[in-house]
Amino acid sequence: MPSPIALNLSPTRSMFKRRSSSSLAALASAKSYLAAVSEADARARAHGATPTSTPALSLSSSVTTNSEDSVLAEEDDNRDGLALPIVPPTSEQVFNTSHLEFGHSANQRHRYKSQYVPGAALTHDEVDPPYYVLITTYLSYIFLIVLGHVRDFLGKRLNPGKYRHLMPANGYAPLNSDFDSFYTRRLKTRLDDCFSVPVTGVPGRTIITFDRETNDYNLTMKMTGEKTRGLNISSYNYLGFAQARGGCADAVEECLRRYGISTCGGRLEGGTSDLHVMAEALVARFVGQEDALISSMGFATNSTIIPALVNKGCLVISDELNHASIRFGVRLSSASVRMFKHNDMKDLESVLREAISQGQPKTHRPWKKILLIVEGLYSMEGTLVNLPAILELKRKYKFYLFIDEAHSIGALGPNGRGVVDYFGINPRSVDILMGTFTKSFGAAGGYISGNKALIDRLRVAGHGGTYAESITPAVVSQILSSMASIMGVWTPPPVQKGLPSPAEPVQHPGPAPVSMLPPWMDLPLVQRDGSEGRERLRRLAFNSRYLARGLMKLGFITYGHVDSPIVPLLLFNPGKMAVFHRMMRTRRTPIYVVVVSYPATPLVTSRVRFCVSASHTKEDIDTVLRACDEIGDALDLKHLPGERWPIQRIVDSAVELVNMQD
Amino acid sequence: MESSYPAAARTLEPVFAFMSSSLAQLETTFYKIPGSHVAARYVKSSHQNDPGRTVVEVLIFVFLIFTILQQRTRAGDDERHFIKYSDEEIDESVDDWTPEPLGAPLDDVETADLAAVPVIVGPIGPKPRLLNSSKPVINMVSYNFTGLAGNELIRDRAIETLRKYGLGSCGPPGFYGTIDVHMELERNLADFLGTESVILYSQSFSTIPSVISAFAKRHDIIVADRGVNFAIQKGLQISRSTIRWFDHNDPRSLEDVLIAVEKERKKRRAPLTRRFIVTEGIFEKDGSMADLPRIIELKNKYKFRLILDESISFGTVGRTGRGLTELYNVPASEVDMLVGSVANGLNSAGGFCAGARAVTEHQRINGTSFVFSAAGPALLAVAASEGINILCNTPSLLSTLRGNIAAVRAILDRVDVLDIPSHPASPIIHLHVRTTPTPTTNGLLDPSSAATISTGKSNPLSVHPREPPTFDIAREERLLQELVDECLAQGVWITRAKRLRGQELVEARPSVRLAVSAALSRKDCERAAQVVRAAAGKVLGRRR
Repeated sequence: MPSPIALNLSPTRSMFKRRSSSSLAALASAKSYLAAVSEADARARAHGATPTSTPALSLSSSVTTNSEDSVLAEEDDNRDGLALPIVPPTSEQVFNTSHLEFGHSANQRHRYKSQYVPGAALTHDEVDPPYYVLITTYLSYIFLIVLGHVRDFLGKRLNPGKYRHLMPANGYAPLNSDFDSFYTRRLKTRLDDCFSVPVTGVPGRTIITFDRETNDYNLTMKMTGEKTRGLNISSYNYLGFAQARGGCADAVEECLRRYGISTCGGRLEGGTSDLHVMAEALVARFVGQEDALISSMGFATNSTIIPALVNKGCLVISDELNHASIRFGVRLSSASVRMFKHNDMKDLESVLREAISQGQPKTHRPWKKILLIVEGLYSMEGTLVNLPAILELKRKYKFYLFIDEAHSIGALGPNGRGVVDYFGINPRSVDILMGTFTKSFGAAGGYISGNKALIDRLRVAGHGGTYAESITPAVVSQILSSMASIMGVWTPPPVQKGLPSPAEPVQHPGPAPVSMLPPWMDLPLVQRDGSEGRERLRRLAFNSRYLARGLMKLGFITYGHVDSPIVPLLLFNPGKMAVFHRMMRTRRTPIYVVVVSYPATPLVTSRVRFCVSASHTKEDIDTVLRACDEIGDALDLKHLPGERWPIQRIVDSAVELVNMQD
Repeated sequence: MESSYPAAARTLEPVFAFMSSSLAQLETTFYKIPGSHVAARYVKSSHQNDPGRTVVEVLIFVFLIFTILQQRTRAGDDERHFIKYSDEEIDESVDDWTPEPLGAPLDDVETADLAAVPVIVGPIGPKPRLLNSSKPVINMVSYNFTGLAGNELIRDRAIETLRKYGLGSCGPPGFYGTIDVHMELERNLADFLGTESVILYSQSFSTIPSVISAFAKRHDIIVADRGVNFAIQKGLQISRSTIRWFDHNDPRSLEDVLIAVEKERKKRRAPLTRRFIVTEGIFEKDGSMADLPRIIELKNKYKFRLILDESISFGTVGRTGRGLTELYNVPASEVDMLVGSVANGLNSAGGFCAGARAVTEHQRINGTSFVFSAAGPALLAVAASEGINILCNTPSLLSTLRGNIAAVRAILDRVDVLDIPSHPASPIIHLHVRTTPTPTTNGLLDPSSAATISTGKSNPLSVHPREPPTFDIAREERLLQELVDECLAQGVWITRAKRLRGQELVEARPSVRLAVSAALSRKDCERAAQVVRAAAGKVLGRRR
């Protein structure tokens, strides 16, 4: 691996080599494409340090150029159509990211601003499929259950060797009861080639998976040693910060050199580094709260902080589709729990009225406090929380509000500040904003933010501060650099004589003050001025809307909000999950998708879940839509009533589709 | 009277006529329904054979209707306790209700504690720089046991990985988050320990609760040590299993409890459920060490499975740091679920569970914090793999560590104002304030295991031992904080072991915890220990 300094020099060398062979007329091969890029770059450099094209067009750092990136390392000549953009770049366009990590998209029409339009419906009616689909789905499960149990019954008697792990042996009860593991053995095993696929490289726009094969119906799988690159529409890489090159990766490398791997301890026991302090200040500024604390694992943020918020005598009201980490935390807290129907404000209000009037069970003592826990963006449904309605209820019923923004932070809102930003609501009106760094920021861990007194209490009372390892410096620097590039960095202007130095801007959502970043973190200009971050936000919003609208126009039943980067497509029949997955990944341009079914979803609504990223180009979404169109016909998935468009019309009028208001 | 009766019958006649005609009509319509003859014949014959049955069937039917019509929306609330209020009354109680504040503000002690949390400036190492202190300090705090922090080879490999994989994994292991370097680390750990397979978690603290709750469910039985760490306590709580406790680090008490559990099962003729022993290798709370060979003997004898938390002992004891199994020369495969910390032992981040393939594969589907959490960053996995490499190839690291521990203990064991419950080989050394001026115990024995000396047995149903040790938490914590401050002033960085007071099942005795590192020179270790000794004499000695 060459150091970044070496990278700085090498593009210039290679550019001159290729200039002679460049031909802008035919851009069929990787070579000619690269030549065009290099030429553009060379011209840009010849005129000065910065590229001549508009900064908004040029995404990213001055350090890396495409010619040094993994495109060249690919031996195959764009056979899968992933290595090169379908629309070749013009000479003005300079892209400094690897197209495989972060797609090249210069068309400014392919941008959209993620923002709530007042009055727009937050939920669209969930369409039921035709009866025959429901009936066949139920029949599939009945077959599965009956045959499975018959096989278990007979197998245990006729072929006990195969079932030994399910039966008491040698005085030990089985580790796994046959009943608990029924779905795992009888359903999931059949789909196992769709899960836990081993991958390598950056989980960016594309991802490389290892091919696997089985000769015992997925009981064991062997890696063949072959690798396949495919379009990645599954990773939680909303803003495309999963990159091995660019300003953030450079910051991480610098941090590794300065700080090493770990801080070797818990936050309260000597594992606190100055980086942690900076990151907590920056996170608080980013989300618009007084203070924040960060933890080394997103799941643990919920599971170790919720017990510090509520205890016996408190009530937690939880959306029925809340994430497992929230349930885990609530269970540990020993507070009472009531669920309400997903995003159903009427049901929530009736639960609230009943809970407050009845008080604690049996004793009827009033609750000590009521904490409402909702998610900003639901990871299996793509639905947004109805925040305006909840805040109205909050004023009346005086509960505390906890929003888990694991998926929405960075991914929603005109400034990427999450669901609060999306609705244009003051973040301080929410008591606790929780989120993770795994998704939009391409890092790991999570945060909790709120007022200072509360966060200090959580620092002391949360399990993580005392007992869990602190977040590692490399991860913190990724958080700092990616967050700063979404916010932009405010640098104080040079002090003039006689005038007081201008104060830092404190309004929300504002830029990151330079004092909250380590002095050694040298972000490239496009990241410091916030243009790159804005570009990412706009691209994500465009891609999300385009995919959701496109699928609907093709006639698929989808769930969720149109601005959500999570787009679930309903498959219903369990058998279609594996087929859909296999058909997607064996296309000429392989597409890697996630399929989910019971018990993660209700029994009938098996689905495929797309996670759109800012790193995708409009052409990538086209590819996904075309694939869905073909497979949807083959698998009989198009059940949405209403107007349908042919795929070509959708592709041609993408911009119109995206800008269409409901 | 007699004349009035026919008169009444006459007036009622049309009513009867209407009734009989409508009944007749009902009957014909009923018989028009296909299959109704069969039903009628069935009812008739059954009534003929057994009139009582009709009554029962009618009752069942009524009950069924009643049950269906009953509202079942009030989750968990006992129907009897539900009071019906009018809307106005509810509005009133909503207006009246004032919740407690979400988080109570910190009191003075807590504020001071939080303010006293040291902040490291720059990298961690044997002599880091702290905020607000001018000179580098001798580090007796960081879990940098084998001195892997700051290793340049590891750092270079991490940078290489960064340039190939980026930082985040951007997904849970199930959904494209299983990176080849994770699988490599799992293989390396398995080879290092000599188990069949390993599963990697992305945070050490969240590992054991997930491991315990993946296997132990309601009705299963867990026999646990009374001194287990907080993470295990949370695992026991979330598993909802039946918990039995044995005295801290006392195999005799363990055997008693195992016998009692088996006896109880036989007595109640209960079906065979999963049974586990949960304990730690080196206890996080006091640094004492489990008698692993004896525990394994017992678990095999009474058919229990062993969940062993080696978060402290993995990477710190044994010839090459393989942990307790290497130290006692027990095959690691004898431990059913061996949980270790990548964060502590290999200076990276995360935790792992080693065991048979069936054990790890089960967790890939049922381990909550494995399934529902993103996989760890690739470069941290590579750093850990490289750490294993270094441990394997440099046994001198462990012998240096052992030497340093011995050097520190040689000085501190003789301090008469301190009790040290930790095992002589433990890399973490807990210091308690000695309560009795002339101790009867030899200083190695944990004061909290005083119950072992007494004749009576503790109640396995209660987490509290029969004779719980008594100590004044506030006072001892204050004294120990003074000790910490005094040492810092002398250039030696130590820390109190922080506890979540009020949340632990058994309050741990306040202690200062030293973490010895192989990165420190012998001279620095001795100097640090001498500073601690002098400070202890100064702070604790003067109170007499």
